[in-house]
Amino acid sequence: MELQAAKAETLPSSLVWRFTPLTLLLVISLIYPWIVSPLWIRLGTEVLMWAGLAQSWNIIGGYTGYLCFGHGAFFGVGAYITGLMMINLGLPFGLGLLVSGILASLLALIIGYPTLRLRGAYFAIATWAFGEMIRQIATILDFTGGAFGLQMPSYLNLPYFYYVMLLVTGLTYLTTFLLLERARFGYKLLAIREHEEAAEMVGVNTVAIKNWAFALSAFFPGVLGGVYAYWVTYIHPDSVLGAQITDFMVVMAFLGGIGSLWGPFLGAIVVQLVQRVLWLFWGAGTFYLVIIGAAICAVVLFIPNGIIGLRETRIFHPREAISQLRKRIKW
Amino acid sequence: MILQSHDLVKSFGGVTAINHLSVTVEKGMVLGIIGPNGSGKTTFFNLVTGVYAPTSGHVTFDGKNITGLRPHRITEMGIGRTFQIPAPFSKMTVLENVMVSTFIRASSLKESRKMAWKILELMRLDEKAHTQVLNVTLEDRKRLELARALGTKPSLLLLDEVMSGLTPSEVKGAIELIRSLRTGDLTIIVVEHIMDVILSLCDRIAVLDYGEKIAEDVPDQIVNNKEVIRAYLGDRYSARH
Repeated sequence: MELQAAKAETLPSSLVWRFTPLTLLLVISLIYPWIVSPLWIRLGTEVLMWAGLAQSWNIIGGYTGYLCFGHGAFFGVGAYITGLMMINLGLPFGLGLLVSGILASLLALIIGYPTLRLRGAYFAIATWAFGEMIRQIATILDFTGGAFGLQMPSYLNLPYFYYVMLLVTGLTYLTTFLLLERARFGYKLLAIREHEEAAEMVGVNTVAIKNWAFALSAFFPGVLGGVYAYWVTYIHPDSVLGAQITDFMVVMAFLGGIGSLWGPFLGAIVVQLVQRVLWLFWGAGTFYLVIIGAAICAVVLFIPNGIIGLRETRIFHPREAISQLRKRIKW
Repeated sequence: MILQSHDLVKSFGGVTAINHLSVTVEKGMVLGIIGPNGSGKTTFFNLVTGVYAPTSGHVTFDGKNITGLRPHRITEMGIGRTFQIPAPFSKMTVLENVMVSTFIRASSLKESRKMAWKILELMRLDEKAHTQVLNVTLEDRKRLELARALGTKPSLLLLDEVMSGLTPSEVKGAIELIRSLRTGDLTIIVVEHIMDVILSLCDRIAVLDYGEKIAEDVPDQIVNNKEVIRAYLGDRYSARH
């Protein structure tokens, strides 16, 4: 008894509190495919993918304050590149993913250089147009299969894709934690979000830092797109480049709480589960969009810090909530 | 001489905000810049720090031509600056605000935290270190502006109305604070509306009017200068005196 008490004493209790939920989450996510039915493995894989995508959007939209409405393009480009490399060049899956991520980042640098000097709605419109452009290109080109898309070699192994998705999304969160919550890079991004001119004036190379953040936020969607393509084996412009991809990233990040590490994760779980539950009860329809739309209105009007912010803040008056949100994004 | 502007011109459309301005600042001195509203004081700071590129003319700092460089490059070279309206990173703490400014001089997060603490102690902001800037007073925000400028370890410090909006007793404290910075090689340019501040702090004073330098002299001479009185109080007043 005494020995046990002494042991408990030596472990700082705050540390235990901080890591217990994380360890629990990790253990659950590792054994998850072994304890649930295939339907739920599929659902889990989806949730993980969206959690990764929402976090990627959060890097540029939440931490940096630049609302990107073309982020789905990086996902689609990743899906197509992995697909094309596996079909035409016979390259291994893993290599395809890496190349997809890198090319998505490169694309972000090319797009970001001219558009990141815009702010607020103008940046949102420019990136939305970019996303639309990529979709149109994929639809008219021959080697992407046009409107019919690509059929990949199929590999029917649900747990495999679950674990790959877990790995990539895990890396997304780890990278966000290390680079944005624990490094100078993250402080610089926050400084840019809070006051860009002042950030430049204290020596932050705002142009370079914004572009790196955009490239980083495009890398993981690129990789996740590749995983998705091989998982579902058939992709076409509407499925991987449609506007709904971006919309869901934005919705999940906002609902969970932008600019926070775990907000997008929570948002992804809630939105994806609500969508699936509605689907189970009422079949395939678009009614869930109404509910999600209402949820977003509620977030914007009452809880600007998202679900995750409810721990420490109250529910706001709409006017105050909107002004809070405006401060957090470049409007 | 540490800073020199040669024949600097800046026009916005038809308005000439700075008109053929040449200023020389010697190392270690405190130069005051005064002038009526809209006379180009803040524009001059924006030209020196790279916020605007001049229409013509150039600026040299420490013997190097810095015209057209981006602001963060100029900060790296050693020019620090405060904003007239405090421009803090509101959602960050006081400590984090200063930490960001030390990044260009520190090799790690740990080192910049240490540097920031030192500055906060000097600025008597250490008690507020972990408070979000949203929740500190105007006086503290003004101090924070100064602290953040010092975090970049400048050899030339540009202070843009750091005392406006402060109560007389707060102004007294701020003057002491700036005096205490005068040790060593730090050169300071002060833009201020409060004459007492300028007169008690500065070695020399330059007077701007419509973007032109109409006088530059030691404080005692400036207050009796005819041109200066005319610019501030109008022709009729200066004719009577």
